[in-house]
Amino acid sequence: MAGPGRRVLNALNPLSKLAVCAIWLAASVLIFDAWFQIAAILLVWLVLIVFQRTSPLVLLALMVPFCLFGLGFLTTSVLFRQESDFAVQVASETPFGSRAFSAGVNLFLRAIACGMISTFFALTTDPGAFVRALMAYAKLPPRIGYSLFAVMQLVPDLAAEAQQMRFARAMKSGRAPRRIPGPFEAVSLVIPLLAFGIRRAGRTAIAMEARGLATGTPRTLTNVPKFSVRDAAFVAIALAILGSLTVATGR
Amino acid sequence: MTFDLSTPEASSAAEWRGVDVRYPFAGRNAVGPLDLQLRPGERVLLLGASGSGKSTLLLTLTGLLPNSIPAEVGGEITIGGIDVGSREPAGWAPEVAQYFQDADQTLCGMRVEDEIAFALENRAMPEAEIAAVIGDAMREVRLPESWRQRRSSSLSGGERQLVALAATLVQDAGIFVADEPTAHLAPEAANRLHALLAKAPATQTMLIVDHRLDGLIETIDRMVVLGADGTIIADGVPRTIFRDKRAVLATLGIWRPAAAELDGELTRIGLAPPIAPLSIEEALAHLDPSHAPQSAIARAKPVVAAFVAACAAPADAAVTDAPVAAELLDAACAPFLGPVVLRNVDFRIREGETVGILGANGAGKSTLGLCLAGLLPVKSGKRQGATGGVAFQRSENQFVGGTVSDELRAALPPRIGDAEQARLVAETLEKWGLGGLGRQHPFELSQGQKRRLALATLTITDRWPLLVLDEPMAGLDAAGAAALTAQIAGLCRQGRAVAVITHDMDLALRLCPRSIVVGEGRILADGPTGELLRDADLLRRADLAEPSSAAARRWLDRVAAC
Repeated sequence: MAGPGRRVLNALNPLSKLAVCAIWLAASVLIFDAWFQIAAILLVWLVLIVFQRTSPLVLLALMVPFCLFGLGFLTTSVLFRQESDFAVQVASETPFGSRAFSAGVNLFLRAIACGMISTFFALTTDPGAFVRALMAYAKLPPRIGYSLFAVMQLVPDLAAEAQQMRFARAMKSGRAPRRIPGPFEAVSLVIPLLAFGIRRAGRTAIAMEARGLATGTPRTLTNVPKFSVRDAAFVAIALAILGSLTVATGR
Repeated sequence: MTFDLSTPEASSAAEWRGVDVRYPFAGRNAVGPLDLQLRPGERVLLLGASGSGKSTLLLTLTGLLPNSIPAEVGGEITIGGIDVGSREPAGWAPEVAQYFQDADQTLCGMRVEDEIAFALENRAMPEAEIAAVIGDAMREVRLPESWRQRRSSSLSGGERQLVALAATLVQDAGIFVADEPTAHLAPEAANRLHALLAKAPATQTMLIVDHRLDGLIETIDRMVVLGADGTIIADGVPRTIFRDKRAVLATLGIWRPAAAELDGELTRIGLAPPIAPLSIEEALAHLDPSHAPQSAIARAKPVVAAFVAACAAPADAAVTDAPVAAELLDAACAPFLGPVVLRNVDFRIREGETVGILGANGAGKSTLGLCLAGLLPVKSGKRQGATGGVAFQRSENQFVGGTVSDELRAALPPRIGDAEQARLVAETLEKWGLGGLGRQHPFELSQGQKRRLALATLTITDRWPLLVLDEPMAGLDAAGAAALTAQIAGLCRQGRAVAVITHDMDLALRLCPRSIVVGEGRILADGPTGELLRDADLLRRADLAEPSSAAARRWLDRVAAC
């Protein structure tokens, strides 16, 4: 069951969260300071664990791809430092050993910080509510909005479909399916899943058309997320923390 | 623009004039040429063998075919006298509510309440009104309130069908079109749907395709039968067609209600019911033991007894001493990466045994089947025995070949030579009624054909000592179902164990000497199918219904008591 904190974050208007996340992402990109990035990562962790009751293990697992991405920056920066003079110059002012390593660490942390801010948005936002908010407040056309929504919904469906395919293949090969597919199995699923995605998109389009989704006709939007005092408080607190951090880290 | 299809001025709610449909690269018409008129307020049942073009015909009504699905459509189609082509398909939504064969074609993957609201939002209905309508629809279809926030794609196949039904009913359109609305529904849910159709406003026109006729047929005014070539071969009152065209329908492999068979037998001995019956009760109403002549009852008794016996698996088919093919011991079963849905499962299936797995939508039958087959590891407890072959509910998931023939070839052991492979493939195609489709892509087949192909790939070799068939008859016509029933009986005679997951109580009774009933997170009962389906309390707890032959058995009990 969702805790009260979970309800607070989920009840926020997705556009408030989007705006705050966009500002924090911009800050993470522009503020080349390792302490700032660390603070951003820890803050997201704290908020997700305390308010969203997200397991630290889940957060660690979600950080893996961003860490790998950041590792690329780190190695590039250490091995090819002449390519990043500006970054090296800026990073030299931070207390992380050599200039090249310091710049690499900055880029590494920045990748994780951006990833965690995105994760915060994804874990606290219902895709349906997000699309509805975009249609209601950003005048996103319903056809595009629902297409976007269908794409977002396709991700978990692809996982379920992949699982059914794995069962069928495991049956044909005479072995029980592994918990996590191996690289060959994963690659072999790509084309069937693509075919599924195309079929599913066609069916969804027919379903929406048969139920009257058309362009240029007025329509009602139900369950539109409302803006409330909580949104104002959330934005104010998030920006205040950002300002404090910026000042504290000397920018 | 909307208009009232029930007004006297609208002489036809919908009409097809000289319509034929041909899909790209197809050698013949999928439908037609045909002429069909639906009168306002009429309830029409469209029957036909698998692949006869029923679904295709429905898709032409609002122009989804050819606007959204490529095909050549000839002739003229009108709704309320207006050419269908004069609007986009979406423009007909206020007049036509469409419930597709595949729930995924009706639903869009949203949360349940959003799915139900979608058509009303598109109609710009005020939000407060939409909220009230959603509540009413959920109550009417008996969707739990707890489903409101659930994503429709996280529901089981039958549950999705119920949501799709609610989403379609709220449209309150003048024409309601439904393609196999009960295909994946448990008996109680199917009865609920039939009741909803029965109490629909008299002004609403209905066009329904369904194979599950018992419980539905009484609400139907008119029946249209499509032949194998997609043309109309019968059009009239159901009672008349089922009696007068009995042989033709049987030859074409088209479903008939159970009463039609009994009517035929009673007619043969000169005890035909005064009116052609649509239910077993009607078929035996003139032979009520309390007032019918004793001589008539004496003549009818062996016929009714033979009918009841034919509806049940032979008594000697029960297997009690063969080696165990697979077993679950104190097992906890859960879907992949999901929570446990069944606990303390003790279940064994023996070689040569056919066991029915019965239960309501979402009870965990498919999960149990996958655990039994060894494809899903049990969360706790133990599974023993050979790995099983599974015919999945969505046949498409198991297709990997580019053509139907490739699919069958892939199921054969590689050591078999090309000539032998070709012979086996050709033989299997014929055996499963797929002759002439060998070069088609599996995804291009009709639902019934896909199911037959899936089963053909599992039975083309004797690789699987255990088979788990998940809703094997869904989408099959009567001929396909009869062929499959005979196939399953043959497999059991060869010593294979077969577990049949089904919502069809008639099938379970006819095919499975033994069944288990799943519900309340465990196995509720395990025993002879006939006995289980006589237990009214058990049926109520598990949301099941008695088989259609139950009324005939009760008649025999009354005769015996007199």
